[in-house]
Amino acid sequence: MIGLATGIAMAGKRVVACDMSVFLHHAYGQIRTAARQGDDLHLVIAASHTGIAVGPDGSSAHDITDLARMRLVPNFKIITPWDGRHVRQIVKVILEEKGYYYVRLNRPNVPIFLKEPMSFEIGRAYRLNEGERVTIIASGDKVFNALQAAEELGEGFADVIGIATLEPLDSDTILASASRTGRVITFEDHMYVGGLYESVAGLLAQHKPTPMRRIALNRIFTTSGEPDELAKMFGLTTEALVRFCHEFVEDR
Amino acid sequence: MFKVSLQELEEKAYRIRRNLIDLMYQSGSGHLDTSLSLVEIWLALVYSEFFRLNPQNGAWDGRDRVFLSEGHACPVQYMVNADLGYCTVEDVFAGFRKPNTPYQGHTKRDLKYGLENSNGSLGIGLWQAYGQALVIDRFVFCIAGDGEFQEPSSQSLLSVTHNLKPAPNYILILNDNKLAQDSQVDIGPIGEVAGLYGWQVIRVDGHDFHGLGEAYIQAVNEKRKPSLLICDTIKGKGGDPQNEAQLGFHGRPPKDEAEYRAYIDGLEAAREA
Repeated sequence: MIGLATGIAMAGKRVVACDMSVFLHHAYGQIRTAARQGDDLHLVIAASHTGIAVGPDGSSAHDITDLARMRLVPNFKIITPWDGRHVRQIVKVILEEKGYYYVRLNRPNVPIFLKEPMSFEIGRAYRLNEGERVTIIASGDKVFNALQAAEELGEGFADVIGIATLEPLDSDTILASASRTGRVITFEDHMYVGGLYESVAGLLAQHKPTPMRRIALNRIFTTSGEPDELAKMFGLTTEALVRFCHEFVEDR
Repeated sequence: MFKVSLQELEEKAYRIRRNLIDLMYQSGSGHLDTSLSLVEIWLALVYSEFFRLNPQNGAWDGRDRVFLSEGHACPVQYMVNADLGYCTVEDVFAGFRKPNTPYQGHTKRDLKYGLENSNGSLGIGLWQAYGQALVIDRFVFCIAGDGEFQEPSSQSLLSVTHNLKPAPNYILILNDNKLAQDSQVDIGPIGEVAGLYGWQVIRVDGHDFHGLGEAYIQAVNEKRKPSLLICDTIKGKGGDPQNEAQLGFHGRPPKDEAEYRAYIDGLEAAREA
């Protein structure tokens, strides 16, 4: 399918190719070859059913490595929308600007938590809550948990950075927040290898070494279960994040 | 049938083979034997009367497309394009397999130079070409290798007529030279399978200009089905006769003066015959 989509894009058409994320493993060579066709293409790959939130279908269907794979393909911008309304806004923007895009979508019912349509700029991270003690950097629907956690942690505690573009990463916003708080926690529904955690860690290691913690999946195959059950099992919950933040801050 | 005489085509084929041998002897790498097997196939196509192109404006929308899916055959693509006027032979010699030139070790898409698709990994270009055929009203030709048809993604293209729809402007040229990199290849019943899936299947001697010209005309005149041209070719055709249709020369051009002379002597002998 990605080969067909690439050929259509090479004819000058704007193309959106959608598939379940885990099936795009098969298409990796096609995706890499697509990215080598030049800068005049407009190709969007939209991957649904990412992360453990897919639930009972189990490990075979949980794509928890897609961000890592796509970060290895030059020219692709990697977009991680936060909720349904965000997807709508983002699609409008990326359909207006040529290029290669990978959009990471989810399956479960995630609350539409963005009250207003947000501005969306490709390559920009957004500071969604102001705090001094710890920075929480979240991507995709985990931004919802990050904001919940910030509220529980109380006013002025957590600086929340929402990542809607993983590649290219907004270095300035992340470095500014790390400088303010001196502590960074990342939160993603993805293996820690090659995802948000390692992106941020790489940036900080180079420009502003900062103590870090992560909430992400280990380098494992997962298991069947209801999405909430799995989130608890793997620690991808608001409660876990709040606990992590407290422990991290008290650690010093 | 052709825009030039058969005699001129034969002369072009000789010149291109000579350039290919020199090019890959000079560079010390590149896929000479695959390139040699495609000379007539490529020339017959681009010099067919119906074939539309504009070397002064490579991205011209009205052009017929030639995708190269077996990307390691790009040297013959570069040399045919030089013959057509997209670039000069000297450009190809100066830039072949060098940093940041249009003449990479596998094709990098650059319409200005008549390079329709970036390729390399096999089983992909033929799908891209099909996608393009679905949305443009020109002919889309795609050259694929028989070894490439060991890739499941290549074989599955045959069912695209059922799973999606037939694109009658799509012509898949299968270079059946019977050798992959490190093994013999038998394409088996690919022609029969393609026929079952509703393709027009044409078998032709891939070194016979006249037969190729007729096959291309038959393919472009088909208005309902995509076409599969199974071209019977000889890997290493027109070089050192000792190495023709032999394993062990994939990506291995002549490495010393004696080997080079054997290629040139073979070429000259074939010309006189």
